[in-house]
Amino acid sequence: MSAVHEAVPPAAAARAVGLTKIYGEGDAAVRALDDVSVEFEGARFTAIMGPSGSGKSTLLHCMAGLDAPSNGSIFIGDIDLTTLSEKNLTLLRREKVGFVFQAFNLIPTLTAAENITLPLDIAGDKPDKGWFDLVVDTVGLRDRLSHRPAELSGGQQQRVASARALVSRPEIVFADEPTGNLDSKSGHELLGFLRSAVKDHDQTIVMVTHDAAAASFADRIVFLADGRVVDEMLEPTTERVLDRLKSLEA
Amino acid sequence: MLRAAIRSLLARKVRLVLTGLSVVLGVSFMAGTYVLTDTMTAAFNELVDTGYSSIDVLVRSSNAFTAQTSSLEEREPMPGSVLDVVAGVPGVAEAVGDVVGYAQIVDPATGKVIGTFGPPTAASGWNELNGFTLKPGGSPPQGSDQVVIDAATAESHDIQVGERVQILFEGPPGEFEVVGLAGYGEEDSLFGATWALFDLPTAQGVLGKQDQLDSVSVVAAEGVTGVDLQREISAVLPEGAEAVTAATVTSEAQDQISTGLGFLRTAFLVFAFVALFVGAFIIFNTFAIIVAQRTRELALFRALGASGRQVLTSVIVEAFVIGVVSSILGVVGGIGIAILLKGALNATGFEIPASGTVILPRTFVVSIVVGTLVTVVAAVVPARRAARVAPIEALREAQDRPGRSLRFRLVSGAVVLALGLVPLAYGLFGAPANALQLVGLGVAFTFIGVAMLTPMIARPVAAALGSPIRRTGVPGKLGRENAMRNPRRTAATASALMIGLGLVVFVAVFGASAKASTTAILERTLKADFILTSPTFSGFSTSAAEDMRRVPGVETVSQIRQAESHIDDGTAFVTGLDPATFEAVSEVGIVEGSLTELTRPDTIAIFEEAATDNGWGIGDTIAVEWPATGEGELEVVAIYSENGLIGDWAVSLETFDANVAQRLDVFVLIKAQADADVAAVQSDLEEALAAYPNIEVQDQAAFRDKYATFLNQVLNLVTALLIFAVIIALFGVMNTLYLSIYERTRELGLLRAVGLTRRQTRSMVRWEAVIISVMGALFGVVVGIAFGWALQQALASEGFSELGIPGGQLAIYVVFAALLGVFFAVFPARRAARLNVLEAISYE
Repeated sequence: MSAVHEAVPPAAAARAVGLTKIYGEGDAAVRALDDVSVEFEGARFTAIMGPSGSGKSTLLHCMAGLDAPSNGSIFIGDIDLTTLSEKNLTLLRREKVGFVFQAFNLIPTLTAAENITLPLDIAGDKPDKGWFDLVVDTVGLRDRLSHRPAELSGGQQQRVASARALVSRPEIVFADEPTGNLDSKSGHELLGFLRSAVKDHDQTIVMVTHDAAAASFADRIVFLADGRVVDEMLEPTTERVLDRLKSLEA
Repeated sequence: MLRAAIRSLLARKVRLVLTGLSVVLGVSFMAGTYVLTDTMTAAFNELVDTGYSSIDVLVRSSNAFTAQTSSLEEREPMPGSVLDVVAGVPGVAEAVGDVVGYAQIVDPATGKVIGTFGPPTAASGWNELNGFTLKPGGSPPQGSDQVVIDAATAESHDIQVGERVQILFEGPPGEFEVVGLAGYGEEDSLFGATWALFDLPTAQGVLGKQDQLDSVSVVAAEGVTGVDLQREISAVLPEGAEAVTAATVTSEAQDQISTGLGFLRTAFLVFAFVALFVGAFIIFNTFAIIVAQRTRELALFRALGASGRQVLTSVIVEAFVIGVVSSILGVVGGIGIAILLKGALNATGFEIPASGTVILPRTFVVSIVVGTLVTVVAAVVPARRAARVAPIEALREAQDRPGRSLRFRLVSGAVVLALGLVPLAYGLFGAPANALQLVGLGVAFTFIGVAMLTPMIARPVAAALGSPIRRTGVPGKLGRENAMRNPRRTAATASALMIGLGLVVFVAVFGASAKASTTAILERTLKADFILTSPTFSGFSTSAAEDMRRVPGVETVSQIRQAESHIDDGTAFVTGLDPATFEAVSEVGIVEGSLTELTRPDTIAIFEEAATDNGWGIGDTIAVEWPATGEGELEVVAIYSENGLIGDWAVSLETFDANVAQRLDVFVLIKAQADADVAAVQSDLEEALAAYPNIEVQDQAAFRDKYATFLNQVLNLVTALLIFAVIIALFGVMNTLYLSIYERTRELGLLRAVGLTRRQTRSMVRWEAVIISVMGALFGVVVGIAFGWALQQALASEGFSELGIPGGQLAIYVVFAALLGVFFAVFPARRAARLNVLEAISYE
């Protein structure tokens, strides 16, 4: 565990500087992100919240290198994503970023174990056996490893997806409404697991959610409205988040 | 529902184009065949009209027999005195006698004979009535030293008026001065035949028909009708001659042409149907995939109140529209193909008159009806599947629906396979009258049956084929998994390829078996040191054999002739051989009787199996119809077991010559004296053959090679035509990949998101294509070998004693299929790699 505890990065794991994203052109243009500058600290669990259309998913997609911004810069560590070629962006996603989506996280033809090691396999790397076992046991999938996605419950599928996001020890994990399709019990299990990855293993996680209870698992919440960062909250609780959301929507 | 069907068509253009393409190509082939043969028929009919336009009545020998394998009619010549008889009939304004026979011109530049393959090579007398017209700058042939040749031959071999050319005949060859060039009507040649024209006495001399005539062309006097004159002349003709009107001859000739072109049409149509058959598989597969992908949409229609019948109709309408549009495009493409094929035929020496392209309404009707029907029928099963979609499925997550049970598939596949194997076996081994149709039907059902069964083994086969690929990395592994995930789809796609390649492999196995069998037979039976043949196994002058007898060191020269005749109402190839010498140069395996008995007139030796099949034995008489002399009876005097060289029926050369008009040797077998230097004898033989550029002398090994090469050329042509079906099948692979990529959009997005590069994505799609293609190729190899084996078994008694499996060639086919699979996967792979990751992930 020593490797995990000693190297807490001093600077932000990822940051956006003057990030603007405009969809469409002319009169139909929509400003999804408007000059957003935000930092995501390492070894912290950050949630992004905001009403529908606030730009929270767009911010996540741009940060993760899945969408190209119209203006501004995005850094993962000290690499500026906006300067990277398509190929290098793909390599960056493979090596430094992990993903958990709301749904359809797994390749149906591969077993749970194969899905977990997919990013490593794509890169041609061998998984670290000890770390793999630890991740698998933490998410409680030991006896499900040889099953295909169709044979797993929704909660199990999301845990496989989380395990996949963590197994390559990426610099940062982006989660887009990971509990959106789960019942509350499975959702809490998953969030607890993400939280422990941050607490026990110094993983950096950024999660978009609209669920106040989910957001309360985070260390910090960034609030977005109309494409701008409007507020922040540290050490959130469900009640405080709900209050803040009410005031944002008012 | 109708509007929904049309919308759905237009929404997916790539799918529409690729699906339609399989129909377009097949229909093009069919329409092209019709257009080409119609065009040729019209042009040839016009040519025949021209040829007989200047005469009213034709007098000829009445013994005729139309051979199936040759376009030249065989008639025994009439005595020359018939001309005076005809000329003396009142009402005859002009009567001109003519002879016609085999002649081959030697190219003075190369020393090689012209026209060894395809159209006839002939000589006849020069006159004003036989259709030939002199080109400006020449004069009619006069005397024994002059010849006029057809302008097309002169042009293509650069022969000028004034040049001297060597010409080969049934008898000794001769050399002549070209004094003019002739056209036929408006054209430069008669169907691409090479033609040498002499004055009548010279023609009679070189053709060995002194004081004989093959025909007398008659022009009626003013006011006399052809019909009347024909009656008048008939009344005075000696026995064995007949008079027919120009109209009768013209329609006979035109009938013969349409029969001949009918064979060509049928041959090409068979390939067109193979192409359409493969196309049907692709239509079926495409619709099956579309229906599976649209399950939720169809269920929504059902939930909104559409009946199952309406859903069925909407799918059928979609197929109908694709069928009609593709068939119309196919006809247009077919006209293009006809022009290409015409060029190809011209290149092989068949001169097709340059008249306009003939497009009959029938071409449109048949092509469009067949193309549409194939499309709609192929879509019926998927459409029924669509109609069974339950409304509740609109609410379920989209996923592969379980198909009917394996047991059902196993049983129905086995039933269809049996429906194919039974007529196939009966057609091959039962020897019924309609054997070809039965075999064709059997082959089609066998393919369908096998295709129905392949999904059961597609998964393990894909797994096995993919296991070495899996080790190449994640793209290979994912490609393998993708090929395995939907066995029905993979199997149906591979099956289309199986059909095309199965037939190609069948042809290859047939060729290898023929080669192996021929080699075995020749090794077993041939005792001759040398064999004389022409390059294409056509006949050559009998005087060559005479010349060979004079070569020092030669012990035995034995001539073999062949002609088509009818025995017991069936077409039969009768061999003429020399009973005294044949056994010295070849083993015949006498079972009963003796070949020397053949020296008696009207006797025949028959093959063992022909004897058993007909219940004939020594001393029995069998009925025969000869090409020249008509019906006769032959007594069986010998039964033999080796029919490799001489076929099932053999008579003496004397009997042969007495009953067949064209006397050309097909083989001359030569044995050297025991103490002779074989190499020296061969070079002496070659020297003696200098006057016969169309004859090759070969030792046994060279002869066997030549036989194999000749066969390969024919088989290569068949293979080339089958490649069309293979190409269509590969478009099917491409279509399936496109559809699969469309279906796996979100999955591709996810893969790209977690770090699969574009290159790796392309590689994944290509590996899937390789697995499908190789699977189809392997199925094709298995089925093709099975068909080849079945045919070899059926023909075992005809000398097909060995089964040859050309392993190297088949391996090349499989590798080639894999490479083509990669090639046809290029576009789908690019599509997959270019998916926008974000859109793909959020794709519903």
